[in-house]
Amino acid sequence: MDGNGDLAFPALVAARLLLAFSPLPDALKYDQQLSSPLTSYSRLREGIYLFQHGIDPYSGGSFRHSPLLLSLFSTVLPLTRYTSPILWTAVDSGAAWALVQIWRLRAGAKRTSRDGQIYALYLLNPYIVLPSLALSTSSMENLLCLLAVMFACRGRASAALLALACLVQLSLPAVLLVAPTTLLAITRPVSRLALARPFDVQGKQTIPLIAEFVGYSALLTFASTFVCGNWRWVEKTWGASLTLPDLTPNPGLWWYFFTEMFDHFRPFFLMVFCVHLLIYIAPVCIKFQHDFLYAVFLLVGVQALFKPYPTLSDPGLFFSMFSIFPEIYPYLRHPIVTALIHLHASLLLPLFNSLWLRQGTGNANFFYASTLVFGMGNGAALLDAIWAGLRVAIGELKEGYEVAQE
Amino acid sequence: MLGSSARADVEPVTEFLGRHGSSHTNNWAVLVCASRYWFNYRHMANALGMYRTVKRLGIPDSNIILMLADDVACNPRNKFPGCVYSSSAKTLDLYGDNIEVDYRGYEVTVENFLRVLTALGRVEPSVPRSKRLLTDDRSNVFIYMTGHGGNEFLKFQDSEEISAFDIADAVAQMWEKKRYNELFFMIDTCQANTMYSKFYSPNVLATGSSVIHENSYSHENDRDIGVAVIDAYTHYVLQFMEGINKTSQATMQDLFDTYDPDKINSHPGVRSDLFPRSLRDALVTDFFGGVAQAEVLTPPEGAQPSHFLFINNASAIEPDGSVLYRYGDTATDLDAIGGLDGHPFLAATADGQKSAIDGNIRAWASTAVVLSLVGWIASRE
Repeated sequence: MDGNGDLAFPALVAARLLLAFSPLPDALKYDQQLSSPLTSYSRLREGIYLFQHGIDPYSGGSFRHSPLLLSLFSTVLPLTRYTSPILWTAVDSGAAWALVQIWRLRAGAKRTSRDGQIYALYLLNPYIVLPSLALSTSSMENLLCLLAVMFACRGRASAALLALACLVQLSLPAVLLVAPTTLLAITRPVSRLALARPFDVQGKQTIPLIAEFVGYSALLTFASTFVCGNWRWVEKTWGASLTLPDLTPNPGLWWYFFTEMFDHFRPFFLMVFCVHLLIYIAPVCIKFQHDFLYAVFLLVGVQALFKPYPTLSDPGLFFSMFSIFPEIYPYLRHPIVTALIHLHASLLLPLFNSLWLRQGTGNANFFYASTLVFGMGNGAALLDAIWAGLRVAIGELKEGYEVAQE
Repeated sequence: MLGSSARADVEPVTEFLGRHGSSHTNNWAVLVCASRYWFNYRHMANALGMYRTVKRLGIPDSNIILMLADDVACNPRNKFPGCVYSSSAKTLDLYGDNIEVDYRGYEVTVENFLRVLTALGRVEPSVPRSKRLLTDDRSNVFIYMTGHGGNEFLKFQDSEEISAFDIADAVAQMWEKKRYNELFFMIDTCQANTMYSKFYSPNVLATGSSVIHENSYSHENDRDIGVAVIDAYTHYVLQFMEGINKTSQATMQDLFDTYDPDKINSHPGVRSDLFPRSLRDALVTDFFGGVAQAEVLTPPEGAQPSHFLFINNASAIEPDGSVLYRYGDTATDLDAIGGLDGHPFLAATADGQKSAIDGNIRAWASTAVVLSLVGWIASRE
């Protein structure tokens, strides 16, 4: 069974490569569930084209990718019909490899029997596969997130912080992950869910790490500004997550709310939604101070649920990360309900999107309803994960006893 | 008009405009049918016939304001649904599938008509462009009105009326606001000539279908439709216009010469005292058509021909500034002769190429920074 992991990974990568070169991706390229205005491949290509012809891609409203991607893809990694699928397959393979490394570090073993399963749960997860086939840059965000967590598990704080800094450059809501990842880097990733202990590492140790993160971010920001020559990119990339200028439909919960928002209330509700994301950091980190990897996992789930411009790969990452916490499986209260809600939502989302935008027989409310169902599914999974993570510590029940919250 | 401050570039313009008689550059038409209900079918057909004519002669929909009650074509009593005919031969369907009615139904009011003319609604941003008369001081405006009228009044949709004084004042406001170059007013109602008797602003030519104390009559009844389908005056005007196309040199005097009181059963009139030119110089297409005058001028002395070359491949620029053509380069040659200054355009394209190369360097530099940072971190631990 040890050889399972050895065969599974190359086989899955090969299968993904074949799929990437099939005619399927052409149908997915403009799908609104798979790529958002911040991650769309066609917008990336357009921005690179404009940049290479001397026009500032941030002077219009179509290009919202980070300038680092702009410089990377116009110099070292040109995006063509053949290089793009290979690049995205490599990105996904790297992310799956990182996930397996995280699992191995958590289990404390160099090789386990579940490695093949974890490769499969990442590389065969439709929420991950489809955006990757659509060449959405959210796959790269997933890779950077998993790399950051992997380096943090290994204790290599600098590498983790650099990966996080790159991730924040690409997607601003990832700041949620800075605190738990930093704390994970100075603790051990081994599962402590069943043996909760208070956090005994000195808080002073985190200050140089935070400073290091700020330094890397500043350096990357400087590199971004250097590419552009001006500061307009900040408003268009990070500003998009904060001010929501582009109301293209996506499977998230923000866009519909803000399509019918009076301008008078817009700043207030933008503030509410942004702060809503931030309020989860402290409670989750405090409650799971014995196991920061689990805190990272939960905050990935929060991010997937409440992000301004999500795609399917954000909940995809959350669900794939379920695979590295097998200790909570017996304590999940309603996994089947969650799975069925997700099945329901994943069938309804493309159906109602097509009904609304292609056939014209439905309207935006249909699609909005399916995003609500999707959000319910994500929320149900997140709540179940929080419950199970805490319930593990109580263990099996004896006859006549029941668990109650004080 | 341009008078004493004639500069070197203004003189050719005034000369050109003077050379061709009329000094207008664009044409507008305001066609109003002021009645509603099925038994006023003929007024609808009048207005639609006039609409078809001005469209055929070149005035686009964007320059036509059509005010109709529009309750005839889809009226339950209409034996030919969706069709409006102006003759019992039913050879031409005036309604068709390509008409643009700007003010329909209850929007045809005196207030809306006067607001359209005088642009009193200009400041309101909710009025769409298709409902505005966006004329300037070089526009020739043709106003056609039809309905039930009387001595110095016209009835609007059975509920209100507009008087000759109102229209005269509106046209005077238009003149003050420089909203027309020349205005042609045509009206087909009972006692129509009284409606234009009160005009007092310059450059107005007016004609009507009948004098005071005289009715205007319909031309033809149709047995299937059951009501009269066209008025006599408008019928004969439209018949004359059928022989006019965009290149026609027929004058307004020719049109007025065809007025035959015996056939029309009323006495049409013309008021030209406010009109500056002779009616034999004013072409029919000056008002009914959207014909533009064009003239090819020789380039002024001393102008150098500017040569534009737009290259799609930035690397085709040699260091000394000359351009290297390579097989497969797409290059578009834009040769412009005639006094155009090419320097701003060339400067802009040159800047574009320079900043593209500049951007490339920046991209490489920033990628190098990021990759070196990654390498340093990787090598450290």
